[in-house]
Amino acid sequence: MSARGASLEGAGRGGNAPPESSDVRLHVEQASYAYAVTDRGAPKFALGPVSFKASRHEIISILGPNASGKSTLLKLLAGVFKPISGFVRVDSFDASELEPKARAQKVALVQQESALLFPLRVWEFVLQGRYPYGRRLRFESEEDCLMAGNALAQVGATDLRDRWMEQLSGGEKQRVILARALAQQPALLLLDEPTQHLDIGGKLELLRRLRRLADENRYTVVVVTHELNLAAEFSDRILLLHRGKALACGPPAEVYQREILEPVFDAPLDVEIAPSGRPRVMLREVNEGPWGPRQ
Amino acid sequence: MRRLMRTQKMIGRALALAALTSAMLSVGERTATAASRGDATRVVVDETGRRVTLPAEVHRIVSLAPNLTETIYAIGAGARLAGDTDFCDVPDEAKSTPHVGAPINPSLEAIVALKPDVVLASASINWPATADALLKMGVPVYTTDPHSVDDMIAGIAHIGEVIGADAAANSLVAGLRARLVALAEKLAGRTPRRVLFIVWDDPLISIGRHTFIADALRLAGGASVIDVEQNWPHVGMEHIVRLQPEFLVFTGDHGDGEASKLDELREKKVWRELEAVKAGRVAFISGEVNRPGPKLIDAIEDLARQLHPEAFAKAADPGGAR
Amino acid sequence: MQPLTPRRILGICALLGVVLFVAVVISLRLGAYPMSFRAILTSLYESVMGRGDQIPTDYQMVIFGLRLPRIAFGIIVGGALAVSGAGFQALLRNPLADPYVLGVSSGAALGAIVSLIFAPHVPLAMQGAAFAGAGITILAVYFLGRRGGQIDSSTLLLAGIISASFLSAIIMFLMTTLSGRDLRGMAFWLMGDLQTPPQLPLGFLFFVSLAAIGAIYTTASDLNLILTGEQEARHLGVNVARVKLVVYLSASLLTGLAVSVSGAIGYVGLLVPHVMRMLFGSDYRILIPASALGGAIAIVAADTLARTVASPTELPVGAMTAIVGAPVFIYLLRRRVG
Repeated sequence: MSARGASLEGAGRGGNAPPESSDVRLHVEQASYAYAVTDRGAPKFALGPVSFKASRHEIISILGPNASGKSTLLKLLAGVFKPISGFVRVDSFDASELEPKARAQKVALVQQESALLFPLRVWEFVLQGRYPYGRRLRFESEEDCLMAGNALAQVGATDLRDRWMEQLSGGEKQRVILARALAQQPALLLLDEPTQHLDIGGKLELLRRLRRLADENRYTVVVVTHELNLAAEFSDRILLLHRGKALACGPPAEVYQREILEPVFDAPLDVEIAPSGRPRVMLREVNEGPWGPRQ
Repeated sequence: MRRLMRTQKMIGRALALAALTSAMLSVGERTATAASRGDATRVVVDETGRRVTLPAEVHRIVSLAPNLTETIYAIGAGARLAGDTDFCDVPDEAKSTPHVGAPINPSLEAIVALKPDVVLASASINWPATADALLKMGVPVYTTDPHSVDDMIAGIAHIGEVIGADAAANSLVAGLRARLVALAEKLAGRTPRRVLFIVWDDPLISIGRHTFIADALRLAGGASVIDVEQNWPHVGMEHIVRLQPEFLVFTGDHGDGEASKLDELREKKVWRELEAVKAGRVAFISGEVNRPGPKLIDAIEDLARQLHPEAFAKAADPGGAR
Repeated sequence: MQPLTPRRILGICALLGVVLFVAVVISLRLGAYPMSFRAILTSLYESVMGRGDQIPTDYQMVIFGLRLPRIAFGIIVGGALAVSGAGFQALLRNPLADPYVLGVSSGAALGAIVSLIFAPHVPLAMQGAAFAGAGITILAVYFLGRRGGQIDSSTLLLAGIISASFLSAIIMFLMTTLSGRDLRGMAFWLMGDLQTPPQLPLGFLFFVSLAAIGAIYTTASDLNLILTGEQEARHLGVNVARVKLVVYLSASLLTGLAVSVSGAIGYVGLLVPHVMRMLFGSDYRILIPASALGGAIAIVAADTLARTVASPTELPVGAMTAIVGAPVFIYLLRRRVG
């Protein structure tokens, strides 16, 4: 894969051409959020003003140490919070202004799944993703079943259809949860640390799948993750957050610079270029210099 | 379209079910009453204030309380008793009468199956809902509600009137009253014994001043050392040690029971320190005291004999100079 | 992939309806008063034809005055308790939840005891006071169980359990002051007993219960989603706060009604939903009507046993559901583990 173009914003897939505005699915402009106020009434910003755009076929990975505002940003993108300043628009609609069902038709969020209390079949679970498309008490239509089937196919889990959810392995369950999100036919697919409980093979498989989904099925994917190297390998752009501020937003090669990463992660890091052309981060010798063991 | 059909189906089903339910229930309200049978009737007011329509002649009686069963036999109407409760065991014939269940929840169907002309109930043993349910179905129920021994005796007269055994009832009543008068004379001028009545000894439960038992105790020449409003007070042993009653009274039978109970008490800590136990002043009153029936008078006399033995010894020796 | 269709739901309801019908017919036949099937069917027929006066008085008394009302009563109570149990299991996200876990039955029992002490001879007072007790408990637990203005499942569960213990303690204390008759009566009430007919017309109870069940049913799809995770459900567009409130109020109303008129009949609310899940799946769109019918069948069967097994002594129906329910519960538990 050739190196990505060097522009900071909106690098399209095929090279240096700027994205068509109709391709932009997600537009974040000066969005910020605060959970609390100081004694004098000024908001304590958990997330400072952030701006970026994302288009179809794009995978954007949001990286940063803990408490950097990643989950806050994800909630803003999901429309759960309304930004204090600026806006978050999905397909020209303000994410937080949409009715929950309308929003669910545009934005799908994949989280770590809670434990299931009662036995449920995989297809029943995936069909739940069709909920935004009907009246309150609804029975699934043929179209719903079709869409659910498609979603399962997109994640390669068609053969899991009749299995019980509790019988699935970690990786299989992850795929099925992804399928449910895809059944929503969203424009924007948000994932919150999806590789957390997977082994290395599972992580790779998931990211490959996301890449394929972005490329072939035109989803816009935003992933919050800790996986520096996998993100670099599969994302179009990286958004680096640090203490609520967006430090950098651009192709991996641009963002993965030692001077940028080391202060953010407070760890001795080295950046190399892998055979694929993507940057790779490695932990340097831990016992030298200012990072050495404390006396 | 499909949703509409589904909604229609559900509404249709609900309506059909509702119609069926209403049909079932409305018919229930048209049940026959004795009056509609065309027999002669009279109306009496029972001891709880309910107006009860009775047939002119009562041939079949169902009793829902053991004391009422006893009363019925005592006034000679035992032959007309068609049914009683599982707990009715006095007199012996009562045990073989068809049973309708326990007093607290008898089988309404069993009662109805016996086709009674009147059902007798007691407010202190039967649930009011039972009487209400029977009355709603047109079965006459006469409920007694005695709060004192005197009420109980008067109640016998009422029952006699209800079932048409007036003569026997009134003569029984007169006899019982005479005995009580005689007892009062014998006990005249004597200080009532200070008594602890023990309903249950572990935990210690005694009686309140409004109970039947308290009344019976008074008539037997005793006075409960526990005098409270609450009917079944739990009492602490310390209180008893301070009060030191003259007599301890238990329910039970005489004979061996007495001796073994005393032995048992002499083994128990704290109890054995009580003066009454040390002096062996333990009395028994028969279980009839819980059963407000004619035999209650026997029980009262019996207790009086235990509490005031001298009064009865005197009577046995009229000529003695004492 | 076979999604749930209204036809399948109606089919299952029809099947359960048939079972209920058979249970009702058998229950009509059994009882202390001897009656043949023919006599019953003839009486029913005459009644439906409008010739009520043709039926012999005794039959009328027993069939329409005693058995049918009691069966109808049982159907209403059974359906209410089972649906309420299913609702609470979803609301509290806990398979062990039953209609009484939030203290509603304790509140009702307290109301009943208080009315026994202060107004002993007034039957309506007991049921009315029981419902009032239930209502106050429902409100108190709701306000205790909120977090951030919304019902929070774990907080609600804790609030309910604490209320139930607190109320039980008061009930225990008050029971020591009751007379023998009241004590026995209260014991029956606490076990659950269908012998005392409700003071309110059965038709009224039926329609109110149906309305509450219907209200819960409108949230059936939502409940399916909420059971896979509250956050996930929100992201799919479910108004979780509203659904929880509707389910809480409706299920509590069903429980309050049932307990006020028939005492605390146990195990039905807990087990019937689980059995129905095993038979028909966890989808609440089928679970709710199936539980309603299943609960009705369970109570009719239990009550029939209760009033015939030790005839003429009548056992409280709650004792029967416990005796049958406990082994069923153990069986279900083992199946889950297996």
